[in-house]
Amino acid sequence: MTGHRNSRFAQALIYGALVLAAIAFLTPLAWMVSTSLKPLNETMSLPQAWVPSRICWENYPDSIREMHDFWRYAGNSLLLCLLSVTGTVASSALAAYGFSRIEWKGRDKVFFVLLATMMIPFPVVMVPIYGLFKELGWIGTFKPLWVPAFFAGAFNVFLLRQFFLGIPKEISEAARIDGCSEFGIFLRVILPLSKPALLIVGLFQFLYTWNDFLGPLVYLTEQKNFTLALGLQSFQSQNGGTSWHHLMAASTLIVLPVILLFFFTQKSFIEGVATTGRKN
Amino acid sequence: MTHDPPSTPPPVRTIWNRVLCVAVLLAGSGVPLQAGAGDGRIVIRYWEKWTGFEADAMRSVVDDFNASQGRIFVEYSSVSQIDRRLMLATAGGVPPDVAGIWAANLPVYAENNALTPLDGPARERGIHRGAYIPVFWDMCHYRGHLWALPATPASVALIYNKKMFREAGLDPERPPRSIAELEAFNGKLTRRSASGRLQTIGHLPEEPGWWNALWGFWFGGKLLEGDSRVTADSPENLAAYRWVQSYPERFGAENLLAMRDGFGNFASPQNPFFNGRVAMILQGNWIHNFIRNYAPPDFEWGVAAFPSSDPSNPQAVSIVECDILVIPTGAKHPGEAFEFIAYVNTRAPMEKLCLLQQKFSPLRECGPEFFQGHPNPHIRTFLDLAKGPGARTAPAVTTWNEFKSDMGNAVSRIWAGKAPAQDALGDVQKRQQKNLDRRIERWRRIAPAHTKSWREQ
Amino acid sequence: MTKRDRHNLLTGLLFISPWAVGFLAFCAYPLAGSLYFSLCDYSALSPAVFIGGQNYRDLATDGVFWTALYNTLFFAAFAIPLGLVVALGLAVLLNFNVRGRGLFRTIIFLPSLVPMVCLAVLWQWMLNGELGLVNTVLNPVLGVINGILGTDWPAPNWLADARFAKWGIIFTVLWGAGNAVVIFLAGLQDVPRHLYESADIDGANFLQKTIHITLPIISPVIYFNMIMGLIGSLQVFAVPFVMTGGGDGPERSLLFLATYLYQNAFDYWNMGYACAIGVILFLVILLLTLAACKLSERHVFYAGK
Repeated sequence: MTGHRNSRFAQALIYGALVLAAIAFLTPLAWMVSTSLKPLNETMSLPQAWVPSRICWENYPDSIREMHDFWRYAGNSLLLCLLSVTGTVASSALAAYGFSRIEWKGRDKVFFVLLATMMIPFPVVMVPIYGLFKELGWIGTFKPLWVPAFFAGAFNVFLLRQFFLGIPKEISEAARIDGCSEFGIFLRVILPLSKPALLIVGLFQFLYTWNDFLGPLVYLTEQKNFTLALGLQSFQSQNGGTSWHHLMAASTLIVLPVILLFFFTQKSFIEGVATTGRKN
Repeated sequence: MTHDPPSTPPPVRTIWNRVLCVAVLLAGSGVPLQAGAGDGRIVIRYWEKWTGFEADAMRSVVDDFNASQGRIFVEYSSVSQIDRRLMLATAGGVPPDVAGIWAANLPVYAENNALTPLDGPARERGIHRGAYIPVFWDMCHYRGHLWALPATPASVALIYNKKMFREAGLDPERPPRSIAELEAFNGKLTRRSASGRLQTIGHLPEEPGWWNALWGFWFGGKLLEGDSRVTADSPENLAAYRWVQSYPERFGAENLLAMRDGFGNFASPQNPFFNGRVAMILQGNWIHNFIRNYAPPDFEWGVAAFPSSDPSNPQAVSIVECDILVIPTGAKHPGEAFEFIAYVNTRAPMEKLCLLQQKFSPLRECGPEFFQGHPNPHIRTFLDLAKGPGARTAPAVTTWNEFKSDMGNAVSRIWAGKAPAQDALGDVQKRQQKNLDRRIERWRRIAPAHTKSWREQ
Repeated sequence: MTKRDRHNLLTGLLFISPWAVGFLAFCAYPLAGSLYFSLCDYSALSPAVFIGGQNYRDLATDGVFWTALYNTLFFAAFAIPLGLVVALGLAVLLNFNVRGRGLFRTIIFLPSLVPMVCLAVLWQWMLNGELGLVNTVLNPVLGVINGILGTDWPAPNWLADARFAKWGIIFTVLWGAGNAVVIFLAGLQDVPRHLYESADIDGANFLQKTIHITLPIISPVIYFNMIMGLIGSLQVFAVPFVMTGGGDGPERSLLFLATYLYQNAFDYWNMGYACAIGVILFLVILLLTLAACKLSERHVFYAGK
């Protein structure tokens, strides 16, 4: 819906609602940044003070130092993210194409099985999967964290399938008549039309892998292999006495790249190319 | 109709390429974690729960060990959620060589064959009960075998605010000696505002409430009889939890809830004990460090045994806990791991570790220099409590985690006025007896195989 | 089967082969394993001992399990519709051509980017009964309402009060609506502009346009978000777990099925029992999703079918 037809009043109303929502969503994060700049004994004080008594910029380099291996963890996180994103986008797109753009016998039944797999809670399968990785000798390596991405997670297949289904059948038919192979149609017709969806899948996978701490917690044993999210856990002490200011500083550092990533990519997958396939 | 696919905008593609290169470079750069270990020494992996200054204390002892000999190199790692991660690693076949867990975890690990028995190596080195404060040595045993050696101990006591005592007209050097006296003092120390809300209170079992499951100890009760009979609703325990129940009855459940919600975090100046809202608490010896960091500079505090219910039998009752060092099953270098653990358990390194962590030592002998230099002015009180006959431990059963959770829930219900002590404890009794019976059944099945392999090691 | 059909079948299977292999390795096999373990007494480091349906019998008489089931269903019943409405509302708002909407979109999405440990701490503070931000805002509002109605409702003690703890979690989870918003936004892009233009020419107002054009066209996306919401909320675990520090809230009001499963597996080392809970949880999710699919299939409109 374009906005140019809305009245001034409507514009103001929309703007007002957006600002309210923005405040609601931004406040806790503002507190996170504010805490990251406080000295330790002010971090958990009630009532909350937004402005620290003195701005402790040193919390940032201190937190990097306290994590012992910040840059290495960052590199590990980045590597895992890139591997996961590549694997996820490629395999999910292939599978989603198979479930939506080709008519084959039993397709919808198999798709329901896929839906059903999303209902399997992770802790249930965690123990046998752990056993599987142990047999393969992968515990302690990165493999359990990125190899499964190359096998098309159900969520992403479902998402892409829904988008692929929205592309009119005529386009595929026309390409088939032109003599294009299925894979060719996939690569040259459907994929480019689904940029927003593919970007979403890639972005979500990146975010998930970047912030994932349960996976690394379970599968990684050597400290040099830890990821940033796991490194963040090192600030939490078990008997009280967490260094909140360092934890928040490190969290802000960790969140910053993904915020920037999102901000610069959101335009391209929300607006733009998607609508070109609809005109006919 | 052909459709020219729009290509990926060039800038995006090259950005991805560059990022990938950087990532591979960063991850592959082999910056070593700790100096050394490239010299052919056997590397031992040591997982420990501590962070902050406690971690620094152990790291210093590790460095001493590494410097004192040329055969073994210990690599220290701070590991969060160590009990779960150790289990996963051991089940996954990649455990560390040494792990620092809590004595409360011991039964579960030992019974499930996750630990290496240490009877043989200890005997060879002449490590024996006589060198320790007995309760800590005993904590490292389960089903007749030694599974661990102590690292750092702890005990709990009544900590009270001397200034608040003085202001209420009580003698700051005379802490309460019985539960009845505690309640009398409580009355004097409690202040309400004009609208009836609680401003300060003498004592609140829920603050901090970390040992809510074990209040029975101060009433002569215990949760487990022998090693198979749950006694959650014994008369002594009922007396203890009726005492807990008397709080919402006297002060009002809503009032207590409102008061507690205004309490700040434990590690902050708004900790209710530090900012004068609660005068007396049950806490462990580590409180000293938190007082130093967060309490006002003129804070005056005293330590005494938490009073028992029976003034005619004044046993100084305390709950003792211990951090312990274990060697998981499947460790690559168990022999070398034990050398490190044994090193930590000799006097000089142990005293260094406990001094830096501001605790007392689990060893029976302790030099006077230890106390002279000790930052905690009341450390002797805590030590005496651990040495005395009133030192109690949580039940050493594999169902303890669940038991504790159930007791916590029972206290929660009593506290909110939702159930009287009788019913709440009765429910716990039923569930936990059934649970324990089930576990004993499981043990009976797997016992022959396990005990045989333990004897052989 | 015709040659065409056979060709399609093979091609289809080829395309889904990455998923199929993954399914066998990471779903079918572990699920079968868990099913077997649910019939055993198993504690990870000792071999599993077959005990038949004992775990399920115990579950039936376990009051804590039924509490967890109730909590989970309660949570899902409110979190799903609220989540959909909030996400769709925000997406529509963010779709208007206002200045700085890129910034607004990023702000809405921010909470999804924050590490879990920070999120939990932030919300613990926000939901504090005496001094938290939520009640600071709520108190004056309640004062006005109380004044009008003559009632005496206090601002609740969110996470410490068994009656309101779950609502605290629901609010926290709503804050992470960014994911669903993004998906709705992408779906909203698919709505052909010329349909709106024709509707404008016919004199339709905003509400009519929304109900008759937008909603049907994005119905596959609504359907997707609803199913994901259903599956996700029945499995809720991370947020309450971190907010209660691994516990289950006042009087177990924050004990959900996934939490109870986790506790049994990793705190009590009762893997067999945990797997039984998992199987039950899976069945609950399966049945409810089936019901949801059947009920909504006729409302979903696919342009590509």
